[in-house]
Amino acid sequence: MSECIVITSGKGGVGKTTTSANLGVSLARLGHRVVVMDADIGLRNLDVIMGLENRIVYDLVHVIEGECRLKQALIRDKRLDNLYLLPAAQTRDKNCVTPDQMRDLVAQLKEEFDYVLVDCPAGIEQGFRNSVAGADRAIIVTTPEVSAIRDADRIIGLVEAAELPEPTLVINRFRQKMVDRGDMLDKADILEILAIPLVGIVPDHEEIIVSANRGIPVAYDDESVVGEAYRRVARRLTGEPEVPFIAEQPTGFWSNIKRWMGMSPARGAV
Amino acid sequence: MHQIIRRIFGTQGSKNDAKSRLKLLLVHDAVDLTPAEMEAMKAEVIEVMSKYIALDRGEVEFKLERNEGEIALVSNVPVRRVTARAG
Repeated sequence: MSECIVITSGKGGVGKTTTSANLGVSLARLGHRVVVMDADIGLRNLDVIMGLENRIVYDLVHVIEGECRLKQALIRDKRLDNLYLLPAAQTRDKNCVTPDQMRDLVAQLKEEFDYVLVDCPAGIEQGFRNSVAGADRAIIVTTPEVSAIRDADRIIGLVEAAELPEPTLVINRFRQKMVDRGDMLDKADILEILAIPLVGIVPDHEEIIVSANRGIPVAYDDESVVGEAYRRVARRLTGEPEVPFIAEQPTGFWSNIKRWMGMSPARGAV
Repeated sequence: MHQIIRRIFGTQGSKNDAKSRLKLLLVHDAVDLTPAEMEAMKAEVIEVMSKYIALDRGEVEFKLERNEGEIALVSNVPVRRVTARAG
């Protein structure tokens, strides 16, 4: 049974595209056939995050306008042969596609793939309506900030208005050290406010910048804490809801010493 | 270290500001009432209630509150005494 999951947030810059790419990689690494679709027509970026920007010939708009077949527009990942990207058009805009066309496109993709992940553009306009049109459920990405959570709350309402089931939440850019000193909203605060089920906490880490520089999602890296956080999201989505959440590594003086001496595991659970 | 300093001086982290601002923001986003409209509603409700009961107009509270995603309008109306009904 295939499923289409839209990754959305309302606010821009909270990590929708990074989350889409890493969930795509993580689900594919679990053995599922996965396509990640960039629905940000006019401002495509998922290709860059996945390191596939040089392979684009056709895009989503070409497929919808009948200029090529779906299979011609699908780009196979460099490392995983069960992971594909359907890129967005860069020189068009959101209004050149309708929700009905997106619904048809998703239905076609679901015949070929176990998971269709849709990377939704920021905002609540046409791009959002197109992205949720074919989706079976939604993942909301937020960061522990007032503005991002406010927008997430608005999007939760719009997802429910679109008659999708209750969305789930990924908290991105989480900093345990700031939470510990009372300068960042913690898991309980955010869940109290948004009141939807949590599927992931992703620590804020320099690795994300490095991986974006290289075009290699962190979910490939078995040593990466952020990669592990995303892999756990994928496991929670595919029938392992009890997998514990990843915290930022303890960074205090003694935990550093212990880590150097190999006394403490590199990863902790919240 | 920060925690120790805060414990000594009794200051709180900025997360409490974030949380209280967010709660207020979300309630007003959801209800879509301006502060002026809230005041107008409060005045009208007080007007209606004061036909039936004697209340301290200055003490009446009207607040939007949010808990677990549910929004409630919470009002506290101190009553002086029930007015004697004619007839």
